[in-house]
Amino acid sequence: MNLVLLSLLFAALTIAAYLFLNTLYLKYRWTLLTPVLTTTAALIVILLLFDIPYERYMLGGQWIGALLGPAVVALAVPLYKQRKLLAQNLAPIMLGVSAGALVGMLSGALLAKVMGFSAEMILTILPKSITTPVAMQLADSLGGIPSLAAVFVMAAGFTGILTGPWLLKTLRIDSAIGRGIGLGTSAHGLGTAKAFEYGVEDASMSSVAMTLSAVVGSFVGPAIVWLLFM
Amino acid sequence: MKFLITFTQLIVLYGFYVAGEWLRDFFNLPLPGSIVGFLLLFIALLLKIYPLRWIESGAQFLLAFLSLYFIPATVGVMQYGDLFTGKGLWLIAIAMFSTLMTMGVSAVLSQWASRRRTDERSL
Repeated sequence: MNLVLLSLLFAALTIAAYLFLNTLYLKYRWTLLTPVLTTTAALIVILLLFDIPYERYMLGGQWIGALLGPAVVALAVPLYKQRKLLAQNLAPIMLGVSAGALVGMLSGALLAKVMGFSAEMILTILPKSITTPVAMQLADSLGGIPSLAAVFVMAAGFTGILTGPWLLKTLRIDSAIGRGIGLGTSAHGLGTAKAFEYGVEDASMSSVAMTLSAVVGSFVGPAIVWLLFM
Repeated sequence: MKFLITFTQLIVLYGFYVAGEWLRDFFNLPLPGSIVGFLLLFIALLLKIYPLRWIESGAQFLLAFLSLYFIPATVGVMQYGDLFTGKGLWLIAIAMFSTLMTMGVSAVLSQWASRRRTDERSL
C-alpha cells in the first residue's frame, strides 16, 4: 500500500518537475535550460537529499519510462508528413545520413576501443549521435547502459550546436540540405532546434535526418558491434 | 470527445509498439522493438493501409512531451557519478570529436550529392 503510494508520488514528482522546468525553458529558450538536463538534475538532487535509492524511485519512474517505446513509434508520423521532401531529395539525404551514422558510430566505438574502455562502455557510447529515446533503447539492446548512453547523446548534442555553425562555415556548407542533414545526423533534437535558426527548410531537413539516422543506426549499430567484437 | 480520440490513438500506438517487440522476439531481430514498430507504422501510412488522421493527434500528443519519458532513465546517471571523474572524461572527449566528424561527413556528402544532381538537371 505504502509502496504504491510512494510509486505514485515519484511518478507525479517527475511529471510536475518536468512540466515546471519545461515551461521555464519555453519562456527563456536558453539551451542550458533544456528540460532533460534541468529535470534530471533536479530529481537527482531531490533523491540524494532525501536519501532515496534509484531503484525505489524507479518503482514510479518506470511507469513514465513505459511511454518511451510508443513515443518512438509515433516518430513515424512527422516523418510521414515530410515524405515529399524526403522523396524529392532521397539520394542526397540517404547518402549523408547513412555515411554520417556509420562514421559517427564507428569513430566513437573505435576510439573508445583503442583507449582500452570496456565492451560495455563501447556499446554505451556507440549510439551517441542518435536521438535519446532510440539511443537508449539501442544501447539497451546491444548490451550498453541506457542512462549513460543519454549522457553521451547530450554531449553530442551540445557539441553539435556549439561548434556546428563554425564547422559548417569552415567546410563551406551553404545549403539548407547540407546544414540540416549535418545538424540532424550528428546532434539529433538539439541540432534540429539549431537548424531552425537558419530557416524552416533547414529544420525540416534536420528532423528528417534525425529520424532516419535513428533507423539507419538501429541497423548499422548491431553490424558494427559484430565487427568490433567478433 | 477529442480526448477520447487521442486516447484511442495512444492505445493504437502502443499496439504498434507491442507488435514491434513481438516481431523482434519472434524473428530474433537485432533492432529495438520500438524501431520495428516505427517501421510498421511508417509502412502502413505509406501504403495507405492505415490513414494518417487515425493516428495524428495521438502521435502529436505523445511527442509533445517526448523528453519526459526518458527522464526516469537519465536520472539513473546518479549511479555512475564516479565514472566522470577520472578516465571516463575521455569518453566525453571522444563523443565530442566523433560528433564533429559525423556532422562534417553528413553535411559535405549531402550538399555535394544535391549540387551534383542539380548540375545534371541544368545541363
